[in-house]
Formats: sequence, C-alpha cells, structure tokens
Amino acid sequence: MDALFLGLTALLEPNLLILLFAATLGGVIIGALPGLNATTGAALLLPFTITMDPIPAIAILTTIYCAATFAGAITAILINTPGTSASATTCLDGFPLAQRGEAGRALGMATVSSTIGGIISVVCLMLAAPLMARMAYNFAPPEYFALTVFGISMLATIGDGTPLKNIIAGALGVLLATVGKDLLTTVERFTFGFNELSEGIGFVPVMIGIFGISELLVQAERLNVERKQVVMKAIKLPSREDYRRVWKTILRSSGIGTFIGILPAEGATVASMIGYNEARRWSKKPQEFGKGSVEGIAGSEAANNSATGGAMVPTLALGIPGSPTAAVILAGLMVHGLQPGPTMFTEQAEFAYAIFWAMLLVNVMFIFVGLFGAKLFARVTFVPVQILWPIVFTFSIVGAYALDQSMLDVFIALASGVIGYFMRRFGYSVVPLAIGLILGGMLEKRLGQSLIMLDDQWWLMFTRPLTLLFFVLTILALFGPLLWGRLKRRDPMVSMGE
Amino acid sequence: MIRYAVPSGIIVFCLVAFWFSTQFDRVPPILLRGMQPADFPQMVLLLIMALSVLVMIFDQPIEHEPVAPNVWTSMGLFVVFALVAQVDLFLGLGVFAVALAWAWGERRLWGLGLVSLVSPLLIFLLFDQVFKIRFPRGLLTNLWYG
Repeated sequence: MDALFLGLTALLEPNLLILLFAATLGGVIIGALPGLNATTGAALLLPFTITMDPIPAIAILTTIYCAATFAGAITAILINTPGTSASATTCLDGFPLAQRGEAGRALGMATVSSTIGGIISVVCLMLAAPLMARMAYNFAPPEYFALTVFGISMLATIGDGTPLKNIIAGALGVLLATVGKDLLTTVERFTFGFNELSEGIGFVPVMIGIFGISELLVQAERLNVERKQVVMKAIKLPSREDYRRVWKTILRSSGIGTFIGILPAEGATVASMIGYNEARRWSKKPQEFGKGSVEGIAGSEAANNSATGGAMVPTLALGIPGSPTAAVILAGLMVHGLQPGPTMFTEQAEFAYAIFWAMLLVNVMFIFVGLFGAKLFARVTFVPVQILWPIVFTFSIVGAYALDQSMLDVFIALASGVIGYFMRRFGYSVVPLAIGLILGGMLEKRLGQSLIMLDDQWWLMFTRPLTLLFFVLTILALFGPLLWGRLKRRDPMVSMGE
Repeated sequence: MIRYAVPSGIIVFCLVAFWFSTQFDRVPPILLRGMQPADFPQMVLLLIMALSVLVMIFDQPIEHEPVAPNVWTSMGLFVVFALVAQVDLFLGLGVFAVALAWAWGERRLWGLGLVSLVSPLLIFLLFDQVFKIRFPRGLLTNLWYG
C-alpha cells in the first residue's frame, strides 16, 4: 500500500506533470501523423529518455503508448484513415457519422469510451500485475524458459503475416539476440571482429530501423494518396441517450480489451476487432453498424484503449511484452537497467506504481485533449509526407546514434530499415522480429540455467507441472487456430452461419 | 517464384550463419556448464530452416507489384547518406533530407530549408545541449566543437 502512494507522490512533481501533458499532446500528434503509430513513436522517442531518471522516462513512453492509441480515432473519424491499425474498426461507424455532420458526437463518444476503457484497464493492471508477479515469484528457470517459449509462440498470431512467417520472423529476432558474448561462457558469436558487437546488437537501433525507417520506405510507395477531411463545425458531445445506449458496450469492450491485452503479444488491434464484433452481436440495433452506430465506436475504442493497460500486465509482471509497443517499453526498461518481472513489485514497487498512476493520469488527460483539440490534431494529418519523413529520418538516425554514441548503430538502423521493408513486403511482420530480439537473450539464458539446474537432463522439464502447462499452452497457441479452422469448416451449422 | 525465392534466400542465409557458428570457440567439457556457445544459435537456425521449408510447401503465393521507383530512390539515398556521413553525420543528414524531399516532390524553398537545415540544427542542439550527446567530429560538427 505504501508503494501505491509513494508511486503517486513520485509522479506529482510539477515538472513531471508538465512533461506528461506534453507527452500526451506528443502522443496524440504521433497517432494522427500519417504512417506513425504508438510503436514507431515509442521507438523514436526512446533515445530521448536515456538521460532521464527511470520514472519519467518510462512514464513518457507509456503516455505516448496510450495517447497515440487513442489518437488513431481522430483521423479514423474525420478522414476515414485510421491513425493506428487499432482504430480501423472505428472508421466503420465514425466516418459515416462524421459525414452526416455528427463528427463531434463521434469524437466525443470515442474520447469517453477510450477514457473509461483506459481507466478500467489501468485499475485491472494495478490489481492483476502484483498478483501475477506474486504467482511468478517462485518460478525457477525451467518455468521461466517455458513461459518465454509460450510468449514467443503467441507471436504466431500477431502482425500481418501468416503464423509460419511470424514464427520465422520471431526466430530471426532470437538469432539476432545471440550476437555478442555468450552470457554463460563469454565466447564471442557473430561479431566478425567488431568490438562494438561484443555486447550484442542494441534493441534501440533495430527498433528504430524496423519501425521508423522501414515505414519511410512504405510511405515512399504511397506518395499520391489523397486525404479529405470532413468539416467539423463545433464539438457536440454525445447525448445522455447515447450514454444510456452504450454503457454496457463500453464495460464489455473494456473487459475484452483488458483480457486480450494481458495475453502475451496480442494487442489493441485484435482487441478492437473483437470489441467491435461483440458490440454488434449484443446490440439491439445491429443493422446500424457500419452506417454510423455510436455503439460501434464505443465497442472499438473502449477495447483498443483498455488493451494498453492489459498489455502492461505481462510486460511488468513477467517481462513478456503484451503488445508491440509494450515490447518497445520493455526495451526501454532494460536500457534503464530495470529488470521487469516478479521482483519489480518487491524491489522497485514505487517505480511500478508510478507507471500505473501515469497511465491513469494520461487517460484523464484524453478528455481535454480529445474533446478540445481534436479539430486541431486532425489537421496534423495533412502535414506533407515529403516534409514529415525527412525530419523523422533525422530523428531516427540521431536517436540510433545517441544511445551508445556509435556510428555502427546508425548503420544497423539503416540495414534494419531496409530488411524490415522487404520483410513487410513479403508478408513477414516486423513485430515478431522485435519481440524475438528482446526475448531471445532471456530465452537462451533461462534454457542454459535450466540445463545446469537439471544436470543436462532437459526432459525433466516436462515433469514439472507449470512448465508442462506452459508447453501445452504453446502447442495450443501454435496449432489451435489451425485446428479450430478445420473444425469450423467441418461443422455444417457454422458453415451455414458463415 | 517469390514463394520459393524468399524462403530459399532465408535458408541460404541460415546455412552461411550455421557455418559461421561452427567456427565459435568451444568450451572444454570439464569447464562446460549447460550448452556450448554454438548450440543455441544452431538450434534456432535449424528451426528457421525447417519453417522456411514449410513456408515453401504451404504458403499461398502473393501477387506483388514491382517495388516503386520512389522506394529504390530512397534506398539509393540511404547509400548517399552513409557515404556523406563519413565526412560529417549532420552534413549527411542535411544532404539526405533535402534530396529525399526533392525526390518526393517538394519544391518549396522553405520546405527544403526546413528539412535540410532547420530540423537537423534543432535536433543537434537538442541532443548536444539537453541530452549531452557527443557527436562524431566532422566537417560541420568541428565548427561547433572547435
């Protein structure tokens, strides 16, 4: 309990509050800018936080995460272009409402739903993360190894690629993590004589490359896309009738989003899709969906914003990222010398609770930013890409250099950008690569420790109940979607329904 | 063709990496605790190769548009940046930014000046003054560092 209040006290410094407000504005702008999203924004801003204390540094990254996820709704509603993929379903009802001259109502609904969803998920985070950490406190290396394998197996279902390609991308990330000195034997691997590679390939340049620089190349393909904004005359808040109609949807989607967020590697995009579908399934007026239903907006936005809090649960409690942006935040924690996991809630409890409070605070700030600044932020979308992306590139390169002050990192970022572009082009999502790179070191270390602990008899891992459970979950995560698809095709009732 | 080309490329990459991994120092058995340094990377490489074979067999081929000329131009400018950055990092950034903006259709003088002069200068001052980052010496940075 003390840590809860100490965390709040640490956050209530006036300078930090101003910084968090600025980060909220920055996050909203990032979410509204063409091609930028929460993950890219957090990766680009990570180098800015290296000289800060851990609390403001990680609070800024989580603020960017929440604010940019929310901001996707602004462009989704006003110009029918989701600022982030998590807001794709918001377009379905937000834009038709805006075309009918009710943009303010749609934005108001998105803001309120995002805020409530975000607050519910942070409260869940405050309750669930310490409980999960307590459960994991007695994990031995085999349990951690199996848990990390489970976390990596969840990569199969994320990103744009097929499960096989996602796992290949994740394994490539794990392979990259083996560059440098082996942790147990200190033998150098894949360093090719570069002393700078002895400590391994840094997370930051690779993330800047695959999220930032590869996006520059993607944007080069879309130079002729035109964006048209719907006129928003004044902010008209949703009516009491609207709130009466959607409160159940908001609560349901918040629960769905929080749960989806807690699952390792699943993020806001999946949450918003499920939240939207469930809103339609439970609605008394499902025929309005896709034509401007406020329930559709509420279902999508409450779910995607609540996934942010949920995603931080496994990130902080177990050290397994709950979403792509959480992976960047995890990298930020490691860069600051913090070890996410069960010990965080005993040895750095004040820090952990300060992050929770920061997330709670940013969700309250949305109300003001979302309702009063939406019109202004929508204009940000019209920043010409030929001005925006050269500036983003300059940020990316200086950011990649700044962490270790190494030109090699600059070239790693460039190479990662080109590789990331071709991966995306050929259907290999870059998100698993990033998560594999972060978890790879942990995976190898825990496998090595397990083998030492079990006297090289690796099969003994399967005799430990929790380890076995995680391996079974891994198999379900890898093959479940395939089997479920087959079963659905065989079921004549389901086929008829489809 | 792409259906086989990309997984084949990945397999070739893995084979080369596997060969490199056979060159790692080995720890004498008496000192060894756990795995040899090459064991884990080799396991991962074998997994990637096996999965790539599965991709060849099961993956649905995707129709691809050819890479847009703007993408090749942008990648070419990465090379230009890498070369000019050897002279000075910020000179490289300025040259890259103005060339990219021009290649993407920006013709307004203020726009070109903003991306090539103003933004690199502001970013340099931010990192130098606020974050105390020391950039590599070069033609332009020497003017500041003396």
